[in-house]
Amino acid sequence: MEITFWGVRGSYPVPGESTVRYGGQTSCVETRSASGQILIVDAGTGMRALGQQLARESGGLPWQYHVLLSHVHWDHIQGLPFFEPAYIPGTKISVYALLTAADELQQVIGGITRYEFFPVALEKVPAQFEFHEVAPQTELRIGEFSILPIALNHPFGSVGYRIATDQTSWAYVSDTAPFTDVLHKQHFLSGVEVLTDADRAALATMRADLVSALFGVDTVVFDTHFLPDEYARFPHYGHSTPEQALEICRDANVRRLVLYHHAPSHSDDMMDTIAKTYLELGARHGIEVLTSFEGMVLPIGAQPVVAVEREVTPKGGVMAPGALKGPGRNS
Amino acid sequence: MTGRDVLRYGGNTSSIEVQSDAGKRLLIDLGTGATEFAKQLMQQEFGKGRGELPILLSHTHLDHIQGLPFFTPFFVKGNRIRILGANPVGSTLQATLQNQLSPHYSPLNGLENLAAGVSIDTFVPGAVLSLDGFDVATAAMPHGSMWTTSFRISAGGKTVVFLSDVEYPNPDAPLPSALALAQGADLLIHDAMHADHDYAMRKGWGHSPARAGIAVAEQAGVKRLALFHHSPDANDALIDELVLRARAQTKVDLFAAAEGSYLTV
Repeated sequence: MEITFWGVRGSYPVPGESTVRYGGQTSCVETRSASGQILIVDAGTGMRALGQQLARESGGLPWQYHVLLSHVHWDHIQGLPFFEPAYIPGTKISVYALLTAADELQQVIGGITRYEFFPVALEKVPAQFEFHEVAPQTELRIGEFSILPIALNHPFGSVGYRIATDQTSWAYVSDTAPFTDVLHKQHFLSGVEVLTDADRAALATMRADLVSALFGVDTVVFDTHFLPDEYARFPHYGHSTPEQALEICRDANVRRLVLYHHAPSHSDDMMDTIAKTYLELGARHGIEVLTSFEGMVLPIGAQPVVAVEREVTPKGGVMAPGALKGPGRNS
Repeated sequence: MTGRDVLRYGGNTSSIEVQSDAGKRLLIDLGTGATEFAKQLMQQEFGKGRGELPILLSHTHLDHIQGLPFFTPFFVKGNRIRILGANPVGSTLQATLQNQLSPHYSPLNGLENLAAGVSIDTFVPGAVLSLDGFDVATAAMPHGSMWTTSFRISAGGKTVVFLSDVEYPNPDAPLPSALALAQGADLLIHDAMHADHDYAMRKGWGHSPARAGIAVAEQAGVKRLALFHHSPDANDALIDELVLRARAQTKVDLFAAAEGSYLTV
């Protein structure tokens, strides 16, 4: 199994000079089994380039795609209307998300292509869409993949996924706050709210379930939007820091942590510092800490390997994959 | 769009600041580019909750409102921001923006949670508005399955015209209403999403080939033409090529709009 990062940013896409190396597109990760089965996690703006790649690979033929959504905030769904295979007649797209009901999900996803927002309504898109509700701790199977949804701590709820096949597994844990002082709430959070005892108990359960779901997983991709000082100012935003991610990974005996969902304000130079700092901190705890960048391809569960870079912008030249220590160093 | 091959023209979606000689500001559209503008504003009076800004929305397709939830002056109490636009067919501007911030899509959970004083004012295209020293004439233009609002903005004797997300039934014969709006403008910002040779495949999608803007500029006696609303498939080299081809067709002074560039009219 391997995973490819098509979008690593949180909140909104950030083009420009200061983000070219780590990339500016929002959340989207592709995973492939050894036999070539594909699963897409989140549908941020990175999904556009993935769609171009898949349409090319399929030779314009209709394939079936499975898209797991962590939640339906804009930065995790806004690439969907620009996913090229959706415009190939006969294509099937199954969307999985945490909502009260599958038809509600259809309305929510259909809502982003309403007349006021987008020129092509969901029901006019040539691909056939199917919506599936997921529930935390209820395992599902898609082709060769066994998938365990995991409840996360984010405003209005979010869900992570442990994805297993080929005798190995990785997990997608984004978006989430740590499990100390913020609880996912069903209303607007203008700041930190006082937790009740029931809230604290719910958070403790959520954390314990996450740690047990991640136990022994090879690679965990974790929401590390904030640095500690940023987190201190915005704990109610529902995102974590690398320190908090490391703590969870240590408890779960995870081999490798991948920092993900970078804040739009973090420039490439800041990301270099973050990558170096947490690689060193992780090493002290026996965890390999990598920092995701757009185009990063990561084999899962193999012997220790180095990341390779793949050109993810199909319109650009093809970049030969090769060993590298950081993003963009071989271009 | 992001990446190395769109650095010169930029990858953010639509957002244009207009500043008068008197120092008053106006913003057209809230695409992702508005997040960059927001950083500047926050260094000034908007950071202290003393900013005032009118924002004109051409329409509510995502690429024109995507920056709204991240436009930081909205989060500072005391700022007074007016959003002005037409109601979409079958809905209202208020309901549409509220839907964008619905709890499903955004933790902001509704316009009422923006700390700044935000008003949403609607008008019927054709209306003439007077905003902080700017005179704004508005007109509806066809945009694929919907229509958008175009603007003619005048201040201090200078005129800027915004005609984006428009597609005339015949790009070589722009609508009289577009010509009237652009008449004698100092600067025309026009939709040029498609290269002329690509347009046939994309007719009816609601965007213009470069030559439509040239036709408006020539027929309306416009002084300068900015080609705008670049295709996400067009990298810097393709936009350079589009400009070279456009220049070969006309005597109009024209260029491709680039992110972060300031232009004195």
